[in-house]
Amino acid sequence: MIEQFKNIWGRRELVYYLVTSELKAEHKTKVLGFLWSFLDPLLLMATYILLVVLIFDRGGPQFPVLLFCAILSWRWFTSSLSVAVTSITSKSRVVQTTYFPLAVLPLAGIIAGLVDYLVAFVILIPLLFAFDATFTVNVLWLPVLIIVQLVITIGAALFCAALGTYLTDLKNIVQFILRLGFYLSPILYSVTETVPERFETYYMLNPFAALIESYKNILVRGTPPSGYMAIAAAVAVIVFLVGFWYFGREEHRLVKAI
Amino acid sequence: MEVIRATDLGIRFKVGKRKRTSARNIVVGGFRRRGGESDDFWALRHVSFTVNKGDTVGFIGRNGSGKSTLLRVVGGIYPPDEGEVSVQGSVSTQFSLGAGFQSELSGVDNIYLNGILMGLSKKYIDSVLDDIIEFADIGDFINMPVKTYSTGMESRLGFAIAINVHKDIVLIDEILGVGDVEFRKKCEERLDKVMGERTILLVSHEMNAIRRFAKKVIWLDRGQIMAQGEPEEVIQQYLGS
Repeated sequence: MIEQFKNIWGRRELVYYLVTSELKAEHKTKVLGFLWSFLDPLLLMATYILLVVLIFDRGGPQFPVLLFCAILSWRWFTSSLSVAVTSITSKSRVVQTTYFPLAVLPLAGIIAGLVDYLVAFVILIPLLFAFDATFTVNVLWLPVLIIVQLVITIGAALFCAALGTYLTDLKNIVQFILRLGFYLSPILYSVTETVPERFETYYMLNPFAALIESYKNILVRGTPPSGYMAIAAAVAVIVFLVGFWYFGREEHRLVKAI
Repeated sequence: MEVIRATDLGIRFKVGKRKRTSARNIVVGGFRRRGGESDDFWALRHVSFTVNKGDTVGFIGRNGSGKSTLLRVVGGIYPPDEGEVSVQGSVSTQFSLGAGFQSELSGVDNIYLNGILMGLSKKYIDSVLDDIIEFADIGDFINMPVKTYSTGMESRLGFAIAINVHKDIVLIDEILGVGDVEFRKKCEERLDKVMGERTILLVSHEMNAIRRFAKKVIWLDRGQIMAQGEPEEVIQQYLGS
């Protein structure tokens, strides 16, 4: 495993180039270019405000900014996994020609998503002011939350990248799981107001329940991260190890399976 | 000095197991962890050969005989399922047309991307960039997105990258069969120049190119070596088969 780390670290320049060329290509083909990094989550936010505030008549005064925090984090995760599932098959011509550690392909997708995530803070910060967010020292937890999310995303993405090469249907399955995860995480609602108390423990076993609730706490409410973050961090490490182990075991067979 | 040695090399593709599959296949066939040997397809088997430093070796044979698979093994893409292969030195593996090209980006961007994929540093690519651009000779297209390129231009750029970066072993798959007469001549001249200092593995259906460059020829058929040795002899055997 340490060998694998070294291998990937040795090719960090390649990861950097894959990320920048991916972002460049993505933005070059569109008239509005990199503005979509802002527009995408904003439009998504508008859609859900329409649904929750206007149709269901729910959501408090800070609902838009809470929603935006949650959408940003979730969007990073979904884009990473969607890219990862086909990351090897979609580059079949490259991987059949040149030898390099295949893990850089899903990793590049995750880092491109992280860049998008951080860029969107340009919108998030004014929103925080506009909706009267409470700033406390708890905001310093942000890097910790991002790292926990990064660890879990790398594990899940590596697993999906390897299995998705064998099993084309994984793309559909992942899409379904992500949809389910969207509703089972506190994106459109908050845990304390919505989730029945007797289910709360089970509900919070979903690491993204703890993560998203914690993002909302530290950025908007000015409170510390959810106590369930400890479990989320443990789950993250397990997911990471499983993903890394499975990818490492299959890596040399993947190109042949394309 | 020997730089490549393959001993009883075998590459097996599994049909029905660990192959790209769909859920339906798995549901119908079940997870056969022990797929029968009968399902296996050997793309290469019992292949043994050696290549000396600075030699140019030609690979001939019908479509599907395992030539490209063999280059991929030398390039480190397929680990052997049977036997062994040892390769000494770095390998330039740009042997498929347009592979690695990010079609939305310019030719220059793609030179960097391809070079970095091959394990070169940005600094090194900076130093050979002009040589590559000059050799590809596609004019202003070098700053245009690769998706606007013709097939010929793509292969020009691909070959220009492969031959201008310094690698000990160069793998060339059918590249001499494409491009216009002028570019082919240029490629052949360049090959003449680097022959001797670099080891070249050349796959081609053009017997004239093989005759001109190869010091040794290996004839593959259905994954097995039918003959190897003196170019003219092997070519005659192949053509007479």
